[in-house]
Amino acid sequence: MNKNEQPVRIAQITCGAEYSGIQNEITSAAETVGAKMFYPDVVLKDVKRAYKDFGLPVKSPDLKLAIARAEAIVEGRIEADGIFIASCFRCAEAAIVRNELRRYIIENSKIPVVSYSFNERTGASTLLTRLEALSTIAKRRSLMAREVQVGTTMGVDSGSSTTKCIIMRDNEIIGTGWRPTTDVLKSADDVIDLALKEADLKISDIEATATTGYGRFLVGKHLKADLIQEELTVNSKGAVYLANAQKGFATVIDIGGMDNKAISVNDGIPGSFTMGGICAGASGRFLEMTAKRLDVDITELGPLSMESEGGENVPMNSYCIVFGTQSLVNALAAGYKRADVAAAACHSVAQQVYEQQLQEVDIKEPVIMVGGSALIQGLVRAMGRMLRTEVVVPHHAQYIGAVGGALISSGFVDKKEKSKEA
Amino acid sequence: MKPYVPQYVGTVTKYVFVDSPDTTPQDIATAAYEIAQGVMIKETCFGCQITGLPEDVKRIVDHLRLLDPFRIFIKDRGFPPGDSRRCRADLGGARPGYLGHEYEMGLVRYFSHGLKETDGMTKQALKKAAGNELPVEEPLDAEILEKLFSEEE
Amino acid sequence: MAKVFIYPATSLILSDLVERFGHEPLGSAISIREHVQTPGFDSPPIQMTSEDPQKGLKWAAVEVPSGVRGRMSLYGPLVEQAEAAIIIDEPDFAFGCMGCARTNELLVFMLREKDMPRLELRYPATKEEGVTFVAKIKQFLKDLEVKHE
Repeated sequence: MNKNEQPVRIAQITCGAEYSGIQNEITSAAETVGAKMFYPDVVLKDVKRAYKDFGLPVKSPDLKLAIARAEAIVEGRIEADGIFIASCFRCAEAAIVRNELRRYIIENSKIPVVSYSFNERTGASTLLTRLEALSTIAKRRSLMAREVQVGTTMGVDSGSSTTKCIIMRDNEIIGTGWRPTTDVLKSADDVIDLALKEADLKISDIEATATTGYGRFLVGKHLKADLIQEELTVNSKGAVYLANAQKGFATVIDIGGMDNKAISVNDGIPGSFTMGGICAGASGRFLEMTAKRLDVDITELGPLSMESEGGENVPMNSYCIVFGTQSLVNALAAGYKRADVAAAACHSVAQQVYEQQLQEVDIKEPVIMVGGSALIQGLVRAMGRMLRTEVVVPHHAQYIGAVGGALISSGFVDKKEKSKEA
Repeated sequence: MKPYVPQYVGTVTKYVFVDSPDTTPQDIATAAYEIAQGVMIKETCFGCQITGLPEDVKRIVDHLRLLDPFRIFIKDRGFPPGDSRRCRADLGGARPGYLGHEYEMGLVRYFSHGLKETDGMTKQALKKAAGNELPVEEPLDAEILEKLFSEEE
Repeated sequence: MAKVFIYPATSLILSDLVERFGHEPLGSAISIREHVQTPGFDSPPIQMTSEDPQKGLKWAAVEVPSGVRGRMSLYGPLVEQAEAAIIIDEPDFAFGCMGCARTNELLVFMLREKDMPRLELRYPATKEEGVTFVAKIKQFLKDLEVKHE
């Protein structure tokens, strides 16, 4: 962060953070991304009134306080750039409040909000990406508002499973590169070479670069990137851009190799989002394991799963990557077809993402699926059935972070042009 | 993780609250300063906070109570005064405990009245007063509910 | 002098009355003070770390939310020390350490379970009830003196 820049002020509306021993993790994560957490200041009178107005008869006083704090922000009595709502994992009372407050804030204000449930093991690193995204949405609205790519720009997405590169020129994709992530920097260099070759360009032709994904800091430093940005905002930008859904509402779902993201977008700007990453059984990794078990390449898992009606009849005893895979093996032994088993794996991942994450954002159409897993048709079908909607998968969906990066970084081309003119 | 070296180890901090037409928070703080003898006193909007060794703090609060015994209330505090971890200026808002005090201070006239009235009571009078009902509200008994419903019908 | 657990553990009036009538109040401030005055790893604001919810496992199982277990690690040791308890029913507006209804339910249960003198009452709503409130507490604390002699 620039030293003269004002920190982004994020209102903390939480219950149990101090007593779970993680308050310092929240504060530190916020500081790392140039934000400052603060408690919206309310008095007892506000709490009593807000509790009555809101109408949710909770018992915990700190949840009543949470309601009052949210109301003070929504009514404009307290200013905030972003809101972080969080409560203890496994607390039903708090989960209800968290959900309803999130909805209330989104419906009644334009302030970005992220909601999360923590336990004592939640560390600053887990919170970092979420607070970084929240801070970006608040701080860089103009960058987020970009709808057209200009100049020659590059986006590199250093993901946990794969590394991707996209080169764009004048609003068109002209180069692509894709490799499994092995050595973070080498994989990045490889995909850049591939993309440059396809685009028939040299690295010196690139006017601006953005990096995203798990390796964004390392790769960003290596490339001297103009923008190093977490994947929540970058992917959602890329998704609405490619799906031509930059106006109005949209929901972006990205089932990644290590975590999943569900982002609710309004006019191209992410509003609320969730990011899960606790269980491999709800990730692309589960589908990779299934492909291995079925002895097919991951690219063949999609067509194979589509040969089945949906695989809902295959008995799955567990969502877990270990025991869930075992269920699939048992199903094969019991005589189920390979196609049904492939579809059952897709159904299991979709169901888990639906149960654990999509409840935390308001699903509004169009629903756009991105990331490598969006190419597995069985998964897209399962998600569509779950949400009762036709899911949109844009072209280049597997490159989404890199596309978003190339798009957003063109904001720096304008700046560079201006400084040249000056 | 950064190591933590605590300050004021071995001390206690007490809040002194006053809600009285005769004694102001400033009166309390001034009286505390007069006998502080090096003990840390911090004036606040509701009275003061005193931080020091337990016996020193006790000496001061015992003296302060005498100034307006039914309208001064004293409570332990975990933090030393002005600690940035709890300070409103640093957190952007009051620590949650403040609102709890606000709630009880809203009832303080009842406590003051109770203290005054019970002060001179004989053993028997106190026992009698203590015997009055101040029941915890019980939810309606299922049988009573049933009876109410049947009466309505 | 008896150690009297006060509930709400953050209560100004209970802390005051217990000490005023010659006993030792056990409440949140005592545990928080211990955390704040103990060296270790820096974990502001109240110096609770992920170890505290782990310590709380003594009083609540792992499926209980971390915030409940963390709070129980503050109260559990105090309940063990307590020789008597005063409980004000339904502390609707006691926040922070007392801000979680689930913790409060467990805490009240533990206080009721323990074989010790206990007074349960509610906040006064009139001046007359103020007299009853103070009288009950005063009488309860006087009776404790007799037991301790």
